[in-house]
Amino acid sequence: MRRGLISWSREEVPQAILEARVARLQQAMREARLDAVLAYTSFAQPAPVQWLTHFVPYWSEALAVVLPHGAPMLLAALTPRVHPWIREVSHLGEVVSAPRLGEKTGEFLREQGLGDRADSKARIGVIGLDGLPWSVGEPLVKAFGEDSLVDASALYAQLRQTADRAELDLAKRATAIGEAALLAIPAGATRAAEVLAAIEASARRAGAEEVLLRIAPDFTRNATLSRMEGDAPLGERYAVELSVAYKGSWVRVNRCVASGGEPLSWQTSSRWLTDAAASLSVAQAAPRFADVPGGGALNAWTLETSVGVYPLSVVAAHDRPPVAALSAGGLAVLSVELALPDGPWRGSVPLAVAADGRESISLAS
Amino acid sequence: MSAQLHQERSGRLRRAMADAGLDLLVVPGDAWHSDYLRYALDLTPMEGEAIACIERDGAARVFVASHAEAARFAAEQPAVQVSCSADPLAQAEAWIAARGAAQAALVAPGVAPTRLARGPLGAGMTAATAWFDRLMVRKSAAEADAVARATALADAGYAVFRDAARVGCSEYELIAEVEAWFRSQGCPENFVILGTGGREVRGMHPPGDRRIAAGDLVTTELTPCVDGYYAQICRTLVVGEPTDTQLRAYAVYREALEAGIAAVRPGATHGDVARAQNDVFRRHGLGDYVTSAYTRVRGHGVGLFVDGPHVLENVELVLEPDMTLIVHPNTYHPEAGYMVLGDTVRVTASGCDVLTGTTRDLISVPA
Repeated sequence: MRRGLISWSREEVPQAILEARVARLQQAMREARLDAVLAYTSFAQPAPVQWLTHFVPYWSEALAVVLPHGAPMLLAALTPRVHPWIREVSHLGEVVSAPRLGEKTGEFLREQGLGDRADSKARIGVIGLDGLPWSVGEPLVKAFGEDSLVDASALYAQLRQTADRAELDLAKRATAIGEAALLAIPAGATRAAEVLAAIEASARRAGAEEVLLRIAPDFTRNATLSRMEGDAPLGERYAVELSVAYKGSWVRVNRCVASGGEPLSWQTSSRWLTDAAASLSVAQAAPRFADVPGGGALNAWTLETSVGVYPLSVVAAHDRPPVAALSAGGLAVLSVELALPDGPWRGSVPLAVAADGRESISLAS
Repeated sequence: MSAQLHQERSGRLRRAMADAGLDLLVVPGDAWHSDYLRYALDLTPMEGEAIACIERDGAARVFVASHAEAARFAAEQPAVQVSCSADPLAQAEAWIAARGAAQAALVAPGVAPTRLARGPLGAGMTAATAWFDRLMVRKSAAEADAVARATALADAGYAVFRDAARVGCSEYELIAEVEAWFRSQGCPENFVILGTGGREVRGMHPPGDRRIAAGDLVTTELTPCVDGYYAQICRTLVVGEPTDTQLRAYAVYREALEAGIAAVRPGATHGDVARAQNDVFRRHGLGDYVTSAYTRVRGHGVGLFVDGPHVLENVELVLEPDMTLIVHPNTYHPEAGYMVLGDTVRVTASGCDVLTGTTRDLISVPA
């Protein structure tokens, strides 16, 4: 569940920014001849609804209905008891109680006049149609027919390509929270739980909406990051990946720790990664990697952005070609795993993608 | 999660598949709906979708999109074959089609991705939700022991919460203290909501930026996880000395909780447990406040998550030894505001053991 700070700061995410995002979607809907766009949300699939309305369910599920005009409406399976809270933390039109979310959505769309026209079928776009839970998808298929439901994922992804000012600032804030949390790791820590608790405390006290932690407690022996249920002794080297959300903006940051102090190879690798991140641009959707420092090997890399229903989606990787060109001003996270002569190293750089001929900008300090 | 619990559950799952005549079980999951996957394979998705396919002999594979999740799954469960691709749904579909299982079932089709459930493969699969839910609700002694350990952690976590709930502390700072403490104990997951304020508060929510003030009621529901099993505690505290109104109101909740717990025994139903609590409210003229207009859920199973149906008057789930549940008469009181009180219990041969150890008194902390 989401258990960090959920609040809507009108200064950080102005109402006008949210309305502009909805307006862009509505313009795209008209061009695509869509009568409505549905965006499902749970804390596992929060991205589109949070981007459009600032709402994220800490629990349960909901669905935003965007019609060609007007504010998005939210059908929420959450108890009506929390509707005042929903209104407090998000920018929405009507909020409708929908314990049976799929059925209620079908009824609601009928009430809006969709599916009633004799001459043509309604065209209803669904962001993330393939991954929509069947408890929601099935009643919609029954109500409107398979052909009426159109996957609006690509349309949404296109809108998310360029970050607005608020997104950029939130991503910078998320990065700063993450970096500070990794610096809060106590020197001389001996247990994984000690490290993770310090990170958790720092990030959540700083207002993180969510914190996901993975750790390789004995990094030299095993570089795989684990979820860590329980505890483990720390080896001489360990690595932590922190995924942190701040008001819907997600970034990843990493820290590798060596008991004898940070080796020179890690400092060199960090600069190498920054250079690789800078190489990304509209014309360069996969990073240009220079030779790995010290004759090491690049074991794996991923480039993630917020173009899907999940907070971050892999859009290019060592084993996958880029799914699409990057857009100038888009937000991304480049992560790498290196095999250096003196052991493994990993790092991540949150960044804003550059226009052609320029260097992408790292959001890290 | 302990290897013993994992093996025990795997054995039960294989027997259930054999009883149902299944060759293949398809188990979808994500960060929200992870309990089926955890039961089956002891895998907990943190991000993205995971589709698991489990064969009758226990051989299993999982399809995911995230490289990090794929690497983690492979390391956590080396016997499970993990496939990572840009389109795990398509990959899962292709694998299922190529395998050509005669008898396949889909666990929790409502949770499953629409593409998987509505395609030709989905149509050819039966739903395995009911018997899988029974597996999760009917616990072994070892599973109930894990819930007991989680309850002890919930008690200790509530002590941290109580000590951190002070005037000027914001809701999210308060929860940060609790989350950090749970992490220090090796607990990665916790369901938590809270409420702060007075009579105007009508429920709980995730932490916001409101700061605690003198005289506030501070309610919370903490639900930490140990060895993959959750337990819950619900408590209310007052910042400062409780008023006579608060004490009088709270006495109803305590009476209701005790009545609910007294109703927990083998053969009783969730409905019996709910009625016992609601009757107390009705006797005090507060019957309206245990309806859907306010809060009507009087508890729920606890285990790999909130398992089984809620504790409601119309739920006929029959209790059996080693089932574990929380009994919580949480609702709004018209004179005092939203109050909560709940204990996790374990059904025994003749009644139940109350696992929660925290005082049931209305707690007061310095203003």
